[in-house]
Amino acid sequence: MTITTDLAQKYGKRQFSRRHATSNFETTLTFAAGAAISIYGLLRRDWFGAAFAGGGGYLLYRGVSDIRRPYQGKARVAFTIGKTPQEVYEYVRNPGNWGHSLREPAFELGDGRNVTIRLGGEDGVEFKSQIQITDERPAEYVAWASTDQFLEHRGVVRFKKAAGDRGTEISVAFEYKAPAGSIARSLAALVGLDPEQLVREGLRQIKQLMETGEIPTTTGQPVGARGLRGTAKRVLYHERPAAEMQPQRLAGD
Amino acid sequence: MKALCWQGKNKVEVERVNDPAILNPRDGIVRITRTAICGSDLHLYDGYIPTMEPGDVLGHEFMGEVVDTGGEVKRVKKGDRVVVPFTIACGQCHFCKHDQWSACDNTNPNAWMMEKMYGYSGSGLFGYSHMMGGYAGGQAQFVRVPFIDVGALTIPEGLEDDKVLFLSDIFPTGYMAAENCDIKPGDVVAIWGCGPVGQFVIRSAFLLGAERVIAIDRFPERLKMARAGGAEIINYEEVEDLIEELKWMTAGRGPDSCIDAVGLEAHGTGVAAAYDYAKERLKLSFDRPTVLRQVIQACKKGGVVSIPGVYGGVLDKIPFGAAFGKGLTFKMGQTQMHRYTERLLKHVQQGEIDPSFVITHRFSLDEAPMAYRMFRDKLAGCIKVVLDPWAGPMAA
Repeated sequence: MTITTDLAQKYGKRQFSRRHATSNFETTLTFAAGAAISIYGLLRRDWFGAAFAGGGGYLLYRGVSDIRRPYQGKARVAFTIGKTPQEVYEYVRNPGNWGHSLREPAFELGDGRNVTIRLGGEDGVEFKSQIQITDERPAEYVAWASTDQFLEHRGVVRFKKAAGDRGTEISVAFEYKAPAGSIARSLAALVGLDPEQLVREGLRQIKQLMETGEIPTTTGQPVGARGLRGTAKRVLYHERPAAEMQPQRLAGD
Repeated sequence: MKALCWQGKNKVEVERVNDPAILNPRDGIVRITRTAICGSDLHLYDGYIPTMEPGDVLGHEFMGEVVDTGGEVKRVKKGDRVVVPFTIACGQCHFCKHDQWSACDNTNPNAWMMEKMYGYSGSGLFGYSHMMGGYAGGQAQFVRVPFIDVGALTIPEGLEDDKVLFLSDIFPTGYMAAENCDIKPGDVVAIWGCGPVGQFVIRSAFLLGAERVIAIDRFPERLKMARAGGAEIINYEEVEDLIEELKWMTAGRGPDSCIDAVGLEAHGTGVAAAYDYAKERLKLSFDRPTVLRQVIQACKKGGVVSIPGVYGGVLDKIPFGAAFGKGLTFKMGQTQMHRYTERLLKHVQQGEIDPSFVITHRFSLDEAPMAYRMFRDKLAGCIKVVLDPWAGPMAA
């Protein structure tokens, strides 16, 4: 069984960059060394110093381009849902089913292949993406790829019957090219924008909707005075006002 | 409404907060008639549990009257008197279907936090940190109960609140701790800690057929209550060597099962206890596993170590060689509440146990901050505090 996720043939140059992004450690080291050598060079105030400053400057330049170089990541996430592969496939294959129900990330289907992914509620970040189903076999797998420049992503969702009475193993393997480097990615992950975690939470919510008909929440519950510390940490707990609650539907409605 | 909010280590305050609302279709709202302070609330009070934040509403032992239900609630009706288990379970995931309710997959909105710390997430809990779901608790006048059909135990007419309130946590917790010991005729069960859970362990062990129960503590009033429940008692501060004492009392066999109903804030005596205390003060550890070491050391060959006491982090100097050498079985974890509530309600109805024996103090919700301090410092013989959220000057 071959599952096509590669759009290279179709889109030629639009293949993911082969160059791997550097690690945070490397980038930080390049920066630190660049800064130290430049400062040393400038402080010497002689021709040797100028050479040092030049070298240091190059390292600084490398550091900046490392940060700006697109980060290429891949991840895989799997969940077990207590339904048959056919049921899970049908549920997932119809984003209209879950698109408006998921808390985060929220999906909106436009006309054709356009999909808007919204993170962080109404005032949050929006990514518009064009998605194409590149390969599919009902109740077995669906492969997709994005066709836009900003955030490239592609992957495959697989459905497999789990052993015994455990239901269905749904897995997502995907790769993406984010518009900024690995330091930006780490920062994004801090505020909950890590692609792997977003996919994990999306799958978790599909599982919760399918098994129980609702996504557990505490948004809008009573809370006492949060104070400075508690308010600062709201981001961490994804605490948002009750107004952003969305009505939910039972799986299969 | 009034609610008791955590505001930091050693600081809880009664605040005015919004009334809870139905947030999900399977929610219910309960008007609380009785609530209690649990020993595990003291771990929050003492600042041991991470991801507690100022403003979080406390409390996970409560009961009351259903005043509102969501569109998908079928079994529970408005006006029902219910006791609500402290663990929240969906009833439909693999774990719920296999009677492992406290491992429910679908009730912790912050599952990712617990996954980072423990690998996998357990069920959501009321009023017990964001890591455990961040649900507002029941030391308040009203509470929102998710999946109310699955958890809430409907109480028949004629049973007063005090008799059934503890079906929300400590009675099932004590019972499961005893059941985990797989008690056989002639068994001797040793129990560390005669707080409220310990008291229920003693009585449950006898209900399950234990021959003898040996109860260990240092507070006279707790030991007295243990003796009233039929246990033999040891004040560990008065014996030279606790392990030798237990060996003597069991004629060299050792207790068939040993129960740690103390958990992470153990006191103890001697070098090991001082070491744990120092390490915890230096913030090198959350837990002081003094009792855990003792139960492992004291347990007979092939015996069971049952742990209802709460632990949070990475424990130090655990005599695992002894555990392996003796072939011990370990059983522990958050109580599988939904497995026991019906069964234990029958014991109460048939008059085999009256759980209200453990209550020593009653206060209004307004007095809760004082009650926390009193319970923590074990002042005035305090063993169990029950709160009435509608009594007192601030009553709404």
